[in-house]
Amino acid sequence: MNNSIELKKNIKDSLFTGLIALAIFGPIVGLRTRLQKEGLYIDPQWIMVMFLVVGSAVGRFLINLNSSRTTEIAFVKRAKLNITSYFSNKGKHLAITGVLFAAAYPFLPFTDRYMLDVGIMVLTYIMLGWGLNIVVGLAGLLDLGYVAFYAVGAYSFALLSTTFGWTFWICLPLAGIFAAFFGILLGFPVLRLRGDYLAIVTLGFGEIIRIILLNWYDLTGGPDGIGGISRPSFFGLPFTNNLKEGENSFHTFFNLEYSTAHKLIFLYYLILILALITNFFTLRIRKLPVGRAWEALREDEIACKSLGVNPTNTKLTAFSIGAMFGGFAGAFFATKQTFVSPESFTFIESAIIVAIVVLGGMGSQTGVVLAAIFLIGFTEIFRELEQFRMIAFGLAMVLIMLFKPKGILSNREPTIKLHGDQK
Amino acid sequence: MEYFIQQLVNGVTLGSIYGLIAIGYTMVYGIIGMINFAHGDIFMIGAFIAIISFLIFGLTSVALPFILLFVLLISMLFTACYGWTVEKLAYKPLRGSFRLAPLISALGMSIVLQNFVQVAQGARTKAIHPIITGKFEFFQESDFVVIISHLQIFMVLLTIALMAGFTFLITKTDLGRAQRACEQDKTMASLLGINVDRTISVTFIIGSSLASVAGMMFVLYYGVIDFYIGFLAGIKAFTAAVLGGIGSLPGAMLGGLIIGLIEVMWSGYISSEYKDVAAFSVLIITLIFFPTGLLGKPEIEKV
Amino acid sequence: MSNKLLSVENLTMKFGGLIAIDNLSFSAKDSQITSIIGPNGAGKTTVFNCLTGFYKPSEGELLLHKDDNSISLKKYTDFKISHKAKVARTFQNIRLFSSMSVLENLLVAQHNELMVASGYSIFGLLNLKRYKDKEREAVEKAKYWLDLTGLTSRADDNAGDLSYGDQRKLEIIRAMCTKPKLLCLDEPAAGLNPKESSELNKLLKFIKTEKQTGILLIEHDMSVVMGISDHVVVLNYGKKIFEGTAKDTRNSKEVIEAYLGVEE
Repeated sequence: MNNSIELKKNIKDSLFTGLIALAIFGPIVGLRTRLQKEGLYIDPQWIMVMFLVVGSAVGRFLINLNSSRTTEIAFVKRAKLNITSYFSNKGKHLAITGVLFAAAYPFLPFTDRYMLDVGIMVLTYIMLGWGLNIVVGLAGLLDLGYVAFYAVGAYSFALLSTTFGWTFWICLPLAGIFAAFFGILLGFPVLRLRGDYLAIVTLGFGEIIRIILLNWYDLTGGPDGIGGISRPSFFGLPFTNNLKEGENSFHTFFNLEYSTAHKLIFLYYLILILALITNFFTLRIRKLPVGRAWEALREDEIACKSLGVNPTNTKLTAFSIGAMFGGFAGAFFATKQTFVSPESFTFIESAIIVAIVVLGGMGSQTGVVLAAIFLIGFTEIFRELEQFRMIAFGLAMVLIMLFKPKGILSNREPTIKLHGDQK
Repeated sequence: MEYFIQQLVNGVTLGSIYGLIAIGYTMVYGIIGMINFAHGDIFMIGAFIAIISFLIFGLTSVALPFILLFVLLISMLFTACYGWTVEKLAYKPLRGSFRLAPLISALGMSIVLQNFVQVAQGARTKAIHPIITGKFEFFQESDFVVIISHLQIFMVLLTIALMAGFTFLITKTDLGRAQRACEQDKTMASLLGINVDRTISVTFIIGSSLASVAGMMFVLYYGVIDFYIGFLAGIKAFTAAVLGGIGSLPGAMLGGLIIGLIEVMWSGYISSEYKDVAAFSVLIITLIFFPTGLLGKPEIEKV
Repeated sequence: MSNKLLSVENLTMKFGGLIAIDNLSFSAKDSQITSIIGPNGAGKTTVFNCLTGFYKPSEGELLLHKDDNSISLKKYTDFKISHKAKVARTFQNIRLFSSMSVLENLLVAQHNELMVASGYSIFGLLNLKRYKDKEREAVEKAKYWLDLTGLTSRADDNAGDLSYGDQRKLEIIRAMCTKPKLLCLDEPAAGLNPKESSELNKLLKFIKTEKQTGILLIEHDMSVVMGISDHVVVLNYGKKIFEGTAKDTRNSKEVIEAYLGVEE
C-alpha cells in the first residue's frame, strides 16, 4: 500500500540510515590503520565504506517496504508456527532418530577425519550446553562463567593424570567432584543476587579462575599449560602403533590395520556416551522434586519461599550439578587434547555456551542440540571466514533475541500429567 | 612515602578513566534497568576513533590544544552514533521482553563490536607516539621522585569539567528532569508528555560520549590500544558503578576513583599479575555486602 | 472448639522514620476466619509480611500456638515459615509458576515431603518404589483439591493460561497443599466477579471447618468480609481501631469514621 507520502517517508528514513551508517563505518572501516616501520598510517577504504553505507540505506528501504505488507508476515508466522509445533510434537521421534544418527555418524560415507573432529566438537558443546541448561535453563540462574568448571575439570584431570598417572576412568568422577565443589564455591556468594548482577559476578568468577590458571605457574604451568596427559585406552588396550614385544594394542587385538582414526572414533563415542548420560540425568531429575524446585525458582523465587522451598539449597544444587557435568566435559577435553592451557578457557567460551542454551530455548534439551549444531557446526564449516564467523555469531545472538527471545524451541511439556496423554 | 604519593596520583588518573565509563553504565541501568554489556566496547571504539583522529590531525599543522579539542569532539560525535545505534537496534525492541533477552542481546552486540573492529582495523595493537608531553617533578631530593605529568593534570581537569557539566545538565535542565522522571516511572513520565524513547536515546548518547572521552584519554595515557581493551575496562568500570551505587552519577565517579586507586595500589605494592583479580574480587565483595553501593538508594523489594 | 492460634503482641514495624505499624495487638483462632481490614496504606500487607517472614518486626511478638506450645514467628524467616511454622500465604499480585502446569504447581507445594521420600533425589533417580508411592500420594492430594475447586480438567494446562478467578483459586489450594496451620490470604477476592466471590467464600468456609486451618484475611471486598468472617480487626494508620465480630464492626462508629465502608 505504497502511496507517495509513505514512499517519501521511507526514502527519508533510508537516507538517515545511510548517514548513520556513514558515521559508523566511516572512521572504523574507512580509515584503516596499518603498521609500517615509522609507525601507524591511514589506509583509506572508501569503496568498502560506500558499499556498506549504500547497503544499509537500501536494506533499510527494503525492510520498511516489507513491514508495511501485513499479509506476508502472516504467512511467515504460520510457517514458523508449523516448524515449532512439528518439533514439539515429534520431539520423541526426533530424539531417537538423532541418537541413531549420532551413533552411526563415524561410519557414514561423508565423515572424514575433519568431519569427525567437528562431530566431537559439536558433541562437546552439546554436553556443555546440557550441563549449563540445568543452571540457566531450568533454575534460571544466568551463569556467564561456566567455562570455569570446564577448566577445573580439565586441569584436575591433567594434574591427576600427570602427577599420579591415574587413568581416565578414575579421574573422571574426581574431575566432576572438584568441579562440583567449585560450583558450590561460586554458588554461595551469589545466593542473594538476581539477574544482571548474578551474571556479572559469575563472569568475574570465570575470569578469576582463568587468571589464576594463567599466573600460578607452579601448579598449573601458567601460559605453558600442562602437557603429556594420558591418552584414553579401550579397556586397557592403548591406541598406539609403538608396541613393545608381547603387548597388545587396540588394532592388534581386533586384527585391524593401524589407523589414527581408531582413537578418534573411540573419543567420539566417549563424548557421545557422556553427553547422553548428561541428557538422561537431566530428563530424570526434571521429574523429581529438586528439578521442579529449580523450575519453580526460575519462575518465582518468592512464591517458592512461601511454599517452604529452601532457595539456598536449590540454587547450590543447581550450580554444583551443572558444574559437575562441566567438569566431566573438561576431563574429556583434556584427554582428547592431551594438553591443556588457559587459552582454551576464555570468557568467549562461556558466552558461546550461554548462547547455545538461550538460542535453543531455555530448558529445552532438543533445542540445545539444534542450537549447538547450528552455531558450532556451520560456523566451523565456514572456518575460512574466521573473523566474520564471530561477527555472525554475535549477530545471531542479537537476531534471535529480537525475533524469538524464548529460543528456537520454547515449548515446555509438563513433567507430569494428571490426564496422561489423552490431551 | 613518595612512592605512595606517586601511586595516589596514578590511581586518581586511572580512576578518572574508569569513572567516565562508569557513568555510562550507571545512567543506563538507572533508566532501563539493564547492564549495557556492550558499553565497554563503546569505550574501545572511542579509543580507536581517537587514535585515527590523532593520526589525521598529526599530518596537519594545527596547534596542539585545537587538535585535542577537535579529537575530543569528533570522538564524542562518532562514538555517540555507535551508542545510539546499538540502543535502537539491540535494546529498544526488547524493552518489554523477559529479563535475560536484553542481556543476551548486549552480549551479542559486544561480540559484534569487538570483532567488527578486529576485522576492520586488524587484530594487532595500535600504538601512537606520545602527544602530550612534559611533567612536573616533586621531591627531587629524595630517593623516589614523584612525577605528575601534564597529561595527568589534563585528564583530571577534563574529567572534573565534564562531571560539573553533566551534573548541571542532570539537575538543572529539562532534559535532566525528564531523565530522572523516566528513572522513577516510565509509564507515568510518558503520560505526562515526556518523550521516553528520546530520553533513553539521549542517555545512551551521553554515556557513549563520556566513554569516548575516556577512550581518548586512554590513547593519550597508554599510547597503545587493541580491540580487547573494552572487555576488561568495561568490567572494572561496571564494578565502579556498582561500588558507587548504581544510578548515582557522583557515585560512578567515586567508584571509578576507588577502583583506579585499588588497582594501582595493588599493582604497586602486591603484584601486578593479579591486579585484575583484585578488581573482580572488589566486585564480588561489593555485590554481596553492599549491593546498593556507597551512594546508592536501598531497594526494598515489594512483595 | 476453636483454640487460640495466633497472638500478635505489641507489634511495631518501622522503616527508617516511618512507623508502618504501631503497637498492634490482636489474636486469631484456628477453625476461624479473621479478617484484617482498613483503608489503603493502613499497614495490612506489612502485618502479613511480618507474620510470614518477609520483614523482621522492629518490636513486639508474634506467637503461633500449637497444642500447648507457643513458637515465636520472629525466629523463622524466608522459607522456614512455611516449612517449620506451617504458615502459608498468598499474594496480592498472584504469584503462580506460570510456565508450569497446574498439577506441577501443586506438586512444588509438597516439595519438602517429596524431597525426603526421594532420598534427596537418590531414591528418585533410581526410581525406587518408595518415591513413586509418595509421588502418587502427592498427585492424589493435588487431585483432591482440584476436584474441590472444579479445576481438574485444567490440571495439565499452564498455570498462566488459567482465568484470573481460577488462578486465585489455584494459589489458595496450592497453599493448602503445604498443610498449613495458618493460612494468610492477601486480598483473595480482588478482581473477582460476584459469582467467583461466592465460590471463594464457600472454599474458605470449607477450609476452616473441614481442615481446621485458621485463616487470616486481608480484604477490601465487604461482601466477603462480612459474609464469612468470624473475627475482624480494623487498622488505620498502622494502629488498631477496632476488634470484634463482623456485625459489631459494621456498626462501630470508629470504623465508619475511619473509612466509609466499601460495600460491594
